[in-house]
Amino acid sequence: MDTVVVKNLKKTFPGVTAVNNISFSVKKGEIFGLLGVNGAGKSTTINILTGLLRPDSGKITIFGKDFFKNEEEIKNRFNVATAYYSLSTNLTVRQNLEVYARIYNIKNRKKKIEELSERFMISHRFKTKVHSLSSGERTRVVLVKALLNDPELLFLDECTVGLDPDVAEIVRDYLRRYNKETGCTIIFTSHYMQEVEEMCDRIAFMYDGKISNPGKAEELLKELETQTVRLHFSRQINKAQQILRENNISFEKKKNILEFTIQNREKIIYPLLEQFVKKGVAFDDMHLSKPTLEDYFIQRSKKDQNLNSTKETGIEKR
Amino acid sequence: MKLHRIKALILNYYYFSIDSLDRLFDVFYWPIMDLFIWGFMTFYIQGLSEYNVLNTILGGIVLWIFIWRSSQDMVVYILESFWSRSVYHLFSSPVQFSEIVASLFFLGIIRSLAAFLTMAVVSFLLYQFNVFAFNLLHFIMFVSILFLFAWAVGLLVSSFIFRYGTRLQVLAWSTIWIIQPFSCVFYPLSSLPSWAAKIAILLPTTHVFEQLRASIAGQPIDYYSLLYSLIVSIVFLIVAAFIAARALEKAKVSGSLAKAE
Repeated sequence: MDTVVVKNLKKTFPGVTAVNNISFSVKKGEIFGLLGVNGAGKSTTINILTGLLRPDSGKITIFGKDFFKNEEEIKNRFNVATAYYSLSTNLTVRQNLEVYARIYNIKNRKKKIEELSERFMISHRFKTKVHSLSSGERTRVVLVKALLNDPELLFLDECTVGLDPDVAEIVRDYLRRYNKETGCTIIFTSHYMQEVEEMCDRIAFMYDGKISNPGKAEELLKELETQTVRLHFSRQINKAQQILRENNISFEKKKNILEFTIQNREKIIYPLLEQFVKKGVAFDDMHLSKPTLEDYFIQRSKKDQNLNSTKETGIEKR
Repeated sequence: MKLHRIKALILNYYYFSIDSLDRLFDVFYWPIMDLFIWGFMTFYIQGLSEYNVLNTILGGIVLWIFIWRSSQDMVVYILESFWSRSVYHLFSSPVQFSEIVASLFFLGIIRSLAAFLTMAVVSFLLYQFNVFAFNLLHFIMFVSILFLFAWAVGLLVSSFIFRYGTRLQVLAWSTIWIIQPFSCVFYPLSSLPSWAAKIAILLPTTHVFEQLRASIAGQPIDYYSLLYSLIVSIVFLIVAAFIAARALEKAKVSGSLAKAE
């Protein structure tokens, strides 16, 4: 069963369509990534799903129930962590966690708060007011709050922003383990592509309020049209340049390295290598860069921008 | 409504209060300052008049605290959530608006009583004015009506905060003082110019303070007047609660709640 089903969700603000008729679903126990540039509509979507914002139209089903008709019951079963909003800044860490533990009616509140705080290395700051914490510490307190009610669905909006790399890794480890052990569904947004690639079972790309078909990271990467090839030569570099010119491949020469971008690896690189062998051109090393999610993100953004300006001007950018 | 969430919110507001000098001054400092200034002035006027000015004015000051604290506290504690940007987490939790309101009603009662008891002690020590000499039934009636009216005002102002954000936060401190001159807290309704009296007579607070003066003077109480005040206050409270709930929903539509502005 799907934990979250979003159908034809639309949200407009004066002059802006923040979320434009999007539909997607998130399976139970899945870690689902929402990727996109700033203003793509990720946070608006999360805010609607967490009940802070009302959509213009569309339907949201969470745990098989209509979200807007069962908001109180559903909110008891999910939680949210974001790096953008801290808990009450005038309260201490412990006071904040005590209040939220009571809101979620947690049994054994003290033990639960202490266990999670130890886990996220924040227990030494129990008596400190939130406004005196560093941004990384604030994020950790919010993460503890988000796990207090053993949520079946967790919204993590840029939840590792401001964390030191080692702490971020501990947080990711814990979340992965929590997801595996409890079957909790996680909706995850992040600017760190590597993190999204590492954490998420499926990823959807948002741009200009629209959403792409979700897919696994490797499936998305297959969509990439270009790859960078670097050939290292100790001799015969001129012959190699000649072959590339004959094949209409534009390249860049950096000392004894030829670097060029190709589309469709299978169709281009193998015939090219055959020509090198036939003409007796030997290279010392070849480096074919593996596309990352970051490459996908950049290409996808460019493509969507291009599509947008084409729509506006009727001229296709090249 | 769930009791455990109401208790959690009361605890939240209690934590806000104990460490905040602003919130402690609200309960102790300003009411005592009021007593000093008004009390000494009245003490002087008392010497020029045969009428029991001192008891009338001190009674007004002491009862006014219930309106002042309850209405202002409701808005200020909602504002605290905006200032500390914790609105995001509060409204993404299962907390209901009705639970926030219930916890703020309770908090208003406790803080008003704390301020009232402080004033009772200070006014007795300074002026030998004994608030407990009131008829207890009358006192409970007066205070109940004032609480209902104050909560209604607090909810109405909160609805502006929800709808338009913290840029209208000045209303938290100013609104109740627009009502005071027309509520005849320190002077009788008959002393107002006719245009002001037309407004004053509609307010439940005016009738409460009129009856307070009657009670202090040992005159009979007009129960119909108090019944009118009670009904108007209840109706006003229901309307204000409806408006505040609508404003909160509108804030969810406009996005001001998500932005915690």
